[in-house]
Amino acid sequence: MRAKRAMTVGAIALAATITVAGCTTRNDDSAGGSGGGEDDQITVAFVPKLQGIPYFEAMNAGGQAAAEELGIEWLYQGPTTADAAAQADIVRSFIQQDVDALIVAPNDPDSMAPLLKEAADKGIKVATSDTDAPNSVREVFVNQASAQGIGEALTDSLMNAMGGSGKYAIVSCGETAANLNAWIAVQEEYTASEYPDAEIVDIVYAGEDQAAATSMATDLMNANPDLTGLVGECTSSAPGVAQAVKDANKIGSVFTVGLGTPMSMAPYLEDGSSSASILWNVENLGYLTAWTGQQLAEGNEIAATNDVNSDMPAVEFDEGSKVLLLGPPLEITKDNVGDFDY
Amino acid sequence: MTLEKKPAHSDATRRTVRRVLPPPVTGQEFVLIGVIAALWILLGIFTPAFLTPGSIQPLLVSVAPIALIGVGMTFIIITAGIDVSVGGAIMLCAVVTAKALVTTGVPLVGAIALSVALGLVLGLVNGTLIAYGRVHAIIITFGTANVFQFLALRVFGSSTVNGIPSTLEVFGRGEAGRTLGVPNSFALTVLAVAIAWWYLRHTAGGRHLFAIGGNAQAARLAGIKVQPRIVATYALTGALVGVAACFFIASGTSTLDQTIGSGRELAVIAAVVIGGTSILGGRGSVIGTLLGAILVATVTSGVTQIGWPSQLANLFVGVFIIIAVGTDLLRERARRKS
Repeated sequence: MRAKRAMTVGAIALAATITVAGCTTRNDDSAGGSGGGEDDQITVAFVPKLQGIPYFEAMNAGGQAAAEELGIEWLYQGPTTADAAAQADIVRSFIQQDVDALIVAPNDPDSMAPLLKEAADKGIKVATSDTDAPNSVREVFVNQASAQGIGEALTDSLMNAMGGSGKYAIVSCGETAANLNAWIAVQEEYTASEYPDAEIVDIVYAGEDQAAATSMATDLMNANPDLTGLVGECTSSAPGVAQAVKDANKIGSVFTVGLGTPMSMAPYLEDGSSSASILWNVENLGYLTAWTGQQLAEGNEIAATNDVNSDMPAVEFDEGSKVLLLGPPLEITKDNVGDFDY
Repeated sequence: MTLEKKPAHSDATRRTVRRVLPPPVTGQEFVLIGVIAALWILLGIFTPAFLTPGSIQPLLVSVAPIALIGVGMTFIIITAGIDVSVGGAIMLCAVVTAKALVTTGVPLVGAIALSVALGLVLGLVNGTLIAYGRVHAIIITFGTANVFQFLALRVFGSSTVNGIPSTLEVFGRGEAGRTLGVPNSFALTVLAVAIAWWYLRHTAGGRHLFAIGGNAQAARLAGIKVQPRIVATYALTGALVGVAACFFIASGTSTLDQTIGSGRELAVIAAVVIGGTSILGGRGSVIGTLLGAILVATVTSGVTQIGWPSQLANLFVGVFIIIAVGTDLLRERARRKS
């Protein structure tokens, strides 16, 4: 009897914790829940992978700026953990609110596809931004930079620091994240073809967890004493790998690059534990996302080259793949890191 | 004859007294020590640098906060309770402390005191609701976990805490975080484990916790003040969460994001359960918890160092938990049969 009770308690415990981890959502003051009702104003809803991290908050800032300039309503809400189920709940609520355009950065592209279909069937214009759901009915994918561009920029920056040769390892995040995996594929190919003296010795996955990324980077340095480079593939592992190099007193002998937000990378770029951060103008990406939502909602065709605003005078659209490309990636170093406030 | 019998009698009494106390180190702990030793030796052979200070020191730094909270969690689980809110509590303590470090530049002692005081309050809330509300601990702490997370997210205010100063570096992974090669955070944790071990084994208060977990009704009838004792276990855990939050900040980067603390309640409970503490209450040891935390960290680090896919670590930890809980339930069944 007692054992049975204990097991029941255990099961509840597990379920409870999973729920705690997954289903908490939070209202953002700046984007209240009153969408879709009015007919005169276009509502564009954006669902990030994760709310509250600087990357998506910067996108939100860009989206809000666009909303003001373009006269649309911008709704922004995401899960507080990068969880596909919690994100799906938010997408469903936006479908119920009957927004005009719904744009998602899916945590899991495959499970998001049927929801986007549901939205499209209700007459909502759907698109993806930041991360694509290629096998869905989305009409546009707003791409921050091409996988080719990011993979090559990461490799070039790291090779520049490592002197074009040596062993390096990659600390990635979600194992199923399509964009990260696409960049890694480019890095592998580009390293093999352009830098024959360099070699990727391992690729590990830390989840969206800074502490895990730091520990894994430390383990990789121990496992490969001749390692001279590390790549932090996402915004939580980029500072993580730099911190590991700093803690191990290996600044100058192990070099790191990563996809980190400027404010979180600044101390590491300054002390040399990170050589460069590859990113793009995240606020512009948010602006472009809002602009795309408006174009779709108004039923406009997106041209091959678009004059979005003075900052983005020639944004290219590929008709075949339906990809709208923000532009080439941005290399952030200690020289320009101070220019960003996110 | 009678004179001869007397010492024999008192000797028997002494033996009975001795049998009431469990051995200082239990069978499961010897098994854990054996498994950890075997893993360390194997990893030492099959990886270039597992058994070097550069690898063991960071491993112990990552063990420290989990084992430290594990001490409190062991107390709670011995009384047949549980606390699934520690993840949320870590998040709240860490973000408040990090904000204080950034905005007001509080010194080391001030930061720790702030974090511990906050953790203590959170623990008291849990303990009071559980002891006097008479709702199962898992429901209460499930609720408070959400509340703590909500409060922490409000403090985060949709951004990360950037540019945390190195005030807490005495608990970090770097050189400033070690004394004679031993990470300070780990040394403090071992000290806490030692005190807790002594308290649980050699004081009436400690034995009362086992009595409460064995049968709370009987403990009450025996004159133990059950409710204040239960409140105390949650308050202790809260205070330890406060210290551990400082460890987490120190071993993190200069940026604190909202993933801090996430899933740590499961890591702590895993360490306690693998360490041989019975989830049914009434039995358990803090030494086991420390060993459990070391075993989990060893597996996680070892999988990466050997070059295996990261997710294998989850598999191994899962198997350990099932083995540990399984043996505990079998032992319980055997005991009831005899």
